[in-house]
Amino acid sequence: MNCIMFHILFLSSLEGFFFGSGKAHVVTGVALTILAGIALSLWRMDRRLTRIESESNDTP
Amino acid sequence: MDTGFHSTVRTARTVAAMEWTLEWRQGHQLASVGLFALSSVYVAFQAASRGTAPEAWTAMLWLVYLFSGFTAVGRLFDRERSATRRYLQWTVEPLGLMLGKLLHAILTTTALSAIVLGAFVLFLGWPGEGVRTSLVVLAAWLGGVSMTTTLVFVTAVASQVQSGGSTLAAILGLPLLLPQLILATRMTTGALQGTPWSILGEIPLFLAALSAGTSVMACILFPYIWRA
Amino acid sequence: MSNWNVLWKFGGILLLAYVIVVGFGTPLQPGLVEASPDRLVPGPVTLELHAVGQPFADEVGSTDGHRLILRSGTDLIDTRLIEVAPHRVQAEVTIPEQMPSPALDAFLFTPATGTLFLGNAFFVEGAGSGPVADEFKAKAPDERSPDLGFSFPYQPNIMESIRNLLWHVPMWFAMFFVMGIGFVASLMQLRTDRIEWDHRGEAAVRTGLVFGLLGLATGSLWARWTWGAWWVSDPQLNGALVTVLLYTGYLILRAAMSDDERVGRLSAVYNVFAFVMLVILLMVLPRYTESLHPGKDGNPGFNSYDLDNSLRAVFYPAVIGWGALCYWMYTLRLRMNRAEHRLLTK
Repeated sequence: MNCIMFHILFLSSLEGFFFGSGKAHVVTGVALTILAGIALSLWRMDRRLTRIESESNDTP
Repeated sequence: MDTGFHSTVRTARTVAAMEWTLEWRQGHQLASVGLFALSSVYVAFQAASRGTAPEAWTAMLWLVYLFSGFTAVGRLFDRERSATRRYLQWTVEPLGLMLGKLLHAILTTTALSAIVLGAFVLFLGWPGEGVRTSLVVLAAWLGGVSMTTTLVFVTAVASQVQSGGSTLAAILGLPLLLPQLILATRMTTGALQGTPWSILGEIPLFLAALSAGTSVMACILFPYIWRA
Repeated sequence: MSNWNVLWKFGGILLLAYVIVVGFGTPLQPGLVEASPDRLVPGPVTLELHAVGQPFADEVGSTDGHRLILRSGTDLIDTRLIEVAPHRVQAEVTIPEQMPSPALDAFLFTPATGTLFLGNAFFVEGAGSGPVADEFKAKAPDERSPDLGFSFPYQPNIMESIRNLLWHVPMWFAMFFVMGIGFVASLMQLRTDRIEWDHRGEAAVRTGLVFGLLGLATGSLWARWTWGAWWVSDPQLNGALVTVLLYTGYLILRAAMSDDERVGRLSAVYNVFAFVMLVILLMVLPRYTESLHPGKDGNPGFNSYDLDNSLRAVFYPAVIGWGALCYWMYTLRLRMNRAEHRLLTK
């Protein structure tokens, strides 16, 4: 029964309106890439600020 | 300077009276607002002859009214820039000063709405039949009051900036005025088309609440600007 | 950086990654979207109905267990299905000479996904008014509610765009959140006159403005899909636009001044005023005026969607994730302001 459910929900849904064209995967991929880019740049900014903060604390 | 309730009211009355007297003495400022309003109405009259649609009538009315309001209120704090300011700062309580300015602005708006509305009726005539005159007058007056109370606050903020204060007042003021203008134009168009009071009745309440809200905010925040 | 800092920052990013994957990967429950022909006359005719979302039949295309029934007023009209595809059905029907209402609603009963409904699917021309003759009448089959698994609810007009709920609404929540921080910072600035509060206020407004613009952009996309225009005149939308313009004014006001103390005081005054206007414009006024935007009574974001458990399982992480990202950006801007101030005053 689970196996049939899985088939109905996932495999055949790929034929559907939104998934059939494969666009959903492209959209997901692009969104994840943008998110990774944002996270990376924020992270680098964070580290740079930490360095600046520690430098200015050393030389009051 | 003492700060009781009665003294605040007295200060407010004195400031409003002073503003009003100065307006009359320096007649050119009052005249410039009237001239601006009348010539704008005349341009509107030239562009759209008699028998305009209610929507266009409303749009023109409020554009003329808005920019006349800017001209009228925009220089409300001009005097407080110079040596006068330093004198007032030590002698006048900020709350009283703000209340006075608001009172004066409301009086000016009343006069301005009479001039603009009168000129519109004179030149363009009412658009169509079945206009609810009292509702149009109420819309113009209440909309104008809520417009100027916001403008008083914005002008007060902008006047503290050394350069380009009046341009800044226009930039900061326009977005703040959008809600009031949306409500007021909707009410005006409705009244021009003969929509009954029972349907439009909510809007004056909103306008009154908005003007009360902005006035209270202006009074609470003005002392902080004044100290700056 | 302490462990806790790493945890919430990357926890937020991971939550957003989960939201993207599940938000775009979860199938939509099926719904009928289109019927043809849209004009019918009494007599035999072949109907076709299209659906979106999860398929309501398997590939083999057996009509077993499927029923299509038309409703006119309260009377039901039977049809005979000739083809059932995963997203499409064809049926033969004889339109009766008499029916209570010329507008026909369609009900599609399916074993896998339950009952699908399309209101005013067909319109009949030239039929008399009266009860449907017994020979055409149908009896409704038993209502089935199969388990649809993890899937998003189907809403007419919104359809697949319901996924935007995970972007649009949390972005506005995030904006409210940082603007609230800015409001408190400005109040403290007015009380204490300390430059630190000014740094916080500026950072909050700047970050909030980014999320406000994102909220406007996602909202505009959604409006194009559901209401058919990029922008409509609506209390909630007007309020949102005015809010964004207002806070742009805050940045302009700051840029127009150079002396630090004056900047702090005046922008704090303006910010307090702006936040009160934001609350009035986005949370008070839209509730008392007619609005296309959902959720005007109660929560200003959404109303009926939150009943669905699958959507909830992605929506709450989305709120937390966007909030964390927003707060991270706010702290970065704040630290930048502090560093800049330290450099300039040293």
